Amino acid sequence: MKKNMLKISLILMSLNSVGFAKATKPVAKKTAPITVQKVANPNAGLKVYTKSANSNIRNQIANALTQMKSGQYVQAANNLLALSRRPELSAERTQLKYLLGVAMMELNMNQVASFQFVDVIKSADAKYTRQAIEKLLIVTDKLGDETLLNYAIQRIDVTSVPTQHRDMLFYRMGEIKQKAGLYSEAVQLYSKVGEKSRYHLNALYNMGLSQAEANQTDLALGTFQKLLNSRTAANVTDTNKVAAQMAIARTLYQKKDWEASVDAYSKIPRDHMLWHDSIFERSWAMLRAARFRSALSNFQSLHSSYYDNFYIPETLLLRSIVYLYICKYDEMDKVLTLFDKQYGPVEKSISNFLNTKSSAESYFQELNKTFQIKSNEDAELKTQISYRALRHVADEGDVRRSFSYIRKLLEERRLIDANPQIKSSSIGAYSLKLLVNRTKSAKSSTGDMVKAHLQNMLVELKDLKEQSSLIRYEMINGKKESLKKRLAGKDLGEVQVDDKKDRSFYVENGFEYYPFQGEYWLDEVGNYHYLGKQNCE
Amino acid sequence: MMKKIFLVLTLLLNATVFADSDVAVPKDELATETVYPIFDQAKSVRNRNVQTTGRIDVGLFGGLALTEPIANTTKFGIAANYHFNEYHSLGLFYVSNSSGLSKDAEGLKNDFGLDFSRAPQPKSMIMFDYNYKPYYGKMSFTKNGVINTTIYGSTALGVIQYQHKTYPALAVGVGERFYFNKSFSLKTDLRLFVHQAPIPFKSNVLCDGSKVSCGSNGAAGDPIPTYDSFSERITYTTNLEIGVNYLF
Repeated sequence: MKKNMLKISLILMSLNSVGFAKATKPVAKKTAPITVQKVANPNAGLKVYTKSANSNIRNQIANALTQMKSGQYVQAANNLLALSRRPELSAERTQLKYLLGVAMMELNMNQVASFQFVDVIKSADAKYTRQAIEKLLIVTDKLGDETLLNYAIQRIDVTSVPTQHRDMLFYRMGEIKQKAGLYSEAVQLYSKVGEKSRYHLNALYNMGLSQAEANQTDLALGTFQKLLNSRTAANVTDTNKVAAQMAIARTLYQKKDWEASVDAYSKIPRDHMLWHDSIFERSWAMLRAARFRSALSNFQSLHSSYYDNFYIPETLLLRSIVYLYICKYDEMDKVLTLFDKQYGPVEKSISNFLNTKSSAESYFQELNKTFQIKSNEDAELKTQISYRALRHVADEGDVRRSFSYIRKLLEERRLIDANPQIKSSSIGAYSLKLLVNRTKSAKSSTGDMVKAHLQNMLVELKDLKEQSSLIRYEMINGKKESLKKRLAGKDLGEVQVDDKKDRSFYVENGFEYYPFQGEYWLDEVGNYHYLGKQNCE
Repeated sequence: MMKKIFLVLTLLLNATVFADSDVAVPKDELATETVYPIFDQAKSVRNRNVQTTGRIDVGLFGGLALTEPIANTTKFGIAANYHFNEYHSLGLFYVSNSSGLSKDAEGLKNDFGLDFSRAPQPKSMIMFDYNYKPYYGKMSFTKNGVINTTIYGSTALGVIQYQHKTYPALAVGVGERFYFNKSFSLKTDLRLFVHQAPIPFKSNVLCDGSKVSCGSNGAAGDPIPTYDSFSERITYTTNLEIGVNYLF
C-alpha cells in the first residue's frame, strides 16, 4: 500500500515537471546594464568584467554580449564557447561559462546549460555561484535530472533564491527530506509552498503522504481532504482529485476503518488509471471487513483477460484465501494452479535474464521494448523477460522519471539536428557530444534501476510462491476436514451453482444478467458479481 | 511482508461471514458509471466466444428476390468464406435460381395470356464475396443463454447466368450472423444486385394465344422470340437471404 502511495506521488511529480517545463522563464540579472536596447529583454543587463587589454578579445566579448542582448543566442553561444576555451581568458572563464549557460537556456537546451552552471559552481567564484545555482535549479527542474537537482539544492541558500522560485525549492527540499524519512521536516517544507504555486497540489499530496508515513493518519486525512476540496470544480478524472480520493481510502485502510475505506475506494472513477489499483486495494479492505463475496466480485474483473498484462500476483493469492474462508477448495485449487501457471514463467524469465545479462544497457533495451508494445499490442516484439513483469517495472515512478529525462535529452538532440545553424557550429558539435554521453549514462543508470526492480520482483515472487505453498497446505487440510464431516454424515447436501468445476460463473452488472461464458467486455469490467455461496458448515 | 499479511489475516479472520441465503448484491456495488475503464489498448472485447481468424465457414442459404417482377423469386445457394482476421473475410457463393415465374407473372399469364417464360430468366450466379465485420456483440433474450452476433458489410463481384448469356454482376449489402455456439450461426444478408439483364417486357412476343384479347394474332398467339431478341439494360434487384453457417 505504501509502495502504491509513493508511486502516485511520483506520477504527480512527473506530471508537474512536464507542466513546469512550459512556463519557467530565465531570471533577469541584477547587474547594471552596459547598453540597453530592449527593456523586456531579460538579458539586457549582462556584462563581462575583463582585465584583458587585448582589444580583439574585448571586441569579441562585447560582440557576444550584443548578440545575447539582441537574441542571437546561437552566435552568442558559439562565441562564448570559443572565448571560454582561450587560455588567456582563464580569469573570465566563470563569467563566460555562466553566460554560455544562459544562452543555452534561451535555446531550450537545458542539459547543456546545466553543465555550464555546474562548471561555474565548481569554480567556487562567489560572485557567480549563487546565480549559477539558481539557474541550475531551474534547468534541472525542467529536465527532471534528480542528481543535478540535489547537487544544486545542497548548495543553495534559500534566502538568496528569488521569491518566484522558492516554492519550487521548498517542494524539492521537502521531497529530499521525505525520501530520507524525515517526515516532520518534510511536512514543514511542504507547508511553505504557496497556494498559488504550481507545486501546491503536489506539496499537499506529499504532505499528507508524509503524515501518513509518520502514522499521523488523522492529520493525513485532513490534508488529503483539503486537497480533494481544492479540486471540487475539477473534472471527475482530474489526477489530483482522484489521487486525493485514493489517498483518503488508503489512509482509512491504514486506520483500519475498513468499511469507510471500501466506501472511499468506490468513489474512484472507472475511467482513471488508478481505478485498477483501487479495485485490488478495495478487495483487501473488503476482505478485512469480512465481505468475502464482494471481494470475489472484484477478482472476477481483476483476473479477466483485460488484466493479462498486469503484474498482480498477490491478487491470485488473496482470491485463494477468500475461497479458503468460504471453504471453496476446488476454486482455491484452480486459483493456485493459475498462480503457478501465470507467475512461474514470469519468475523463470526474470531469473534467466538476471543470470545471463549483466550490462545495464541490455536491461534498458529490454524495458524500452515495453513502451513500443504498450502503444501497439500487436507489435511483433519479443521480450526475454515476461511482458507483464516489464510493464510493471516500466510503471515504477523512478523508471518513469528516468525515461522522461532521457526523452528530454533526445528532444535536445532533435533540436540540434533540426537546426542546421546550431548543428554545423562548434556549439552544436560540443552539445551533441555532451548529450550523447549524458544519454548513454542516463540509459545505463536506468538499466541499473530496472535490474534492481527485477531483483526485488524475483524476491517477491519467491516469497509469494512460498505463500502459495502454505495456502495450498491449508486447502488440503480444509478438504480433509470437509471429507471427515461428510463421512460423519454432516454432508451439506445442497447443490450449488458453483459446485462443478466445469460450471459457468454467473455475473450481474446491475442491469442485465448473462450466463458468463469466458468472454470479457470492456463495459462489464468492474461490474461482475460473484453469486456463489459459502460451503462451510 | 507478504507472509506477515497473510498470517495476520489468518489470525484476524477466524470467523467466516458470508451470505447464507439468497445472494443480494448490495446497491453500493452496482454500477453507477457508464464510462469504460482505461487500458493500454481499449479493446471492447477480449477472449471472444466466436473467434473467426484463420477459419473457414461454410453455409447453405435460401434467398428471395424482393423486387423481381417476372422470374421466380426464390433461390438457393451455398457459400464458403475464409476469415483473414476478425474484421475481414473473403468468400465465394453460388446461387441457383428456381425455375418458373413469379406469382405476379403467373397472374399475368392466367389473366391476360402474357407468357413471360418466353423471356430469358436468370439461372444461377457465382460471386466472390468480401465481408467487412466492424461490429461484434452479444444479446440475450431469455437470460438463460447468450447469442453472439456480427454485423457486416458485403461487396460481391461475379457473374449471373441467364438461359442464353452470362453477365457480370456486382452486389453490395449488409448482413448479420447470430451465433448459437462458437461455430454454428444463422445468417441473414440483404444485397442489392446490379447487372446488365434482358428486359422481359417486349411487345408482340409474349401472348401465348390463350386469351384472344392478347396480341394481334388472337388465338394463334405471338411467335416465340429468340432470347437474343430481348433488349438489355442495367437492372437492380434487392435480395434477402437467410441461411445457416458452420465455422470450421
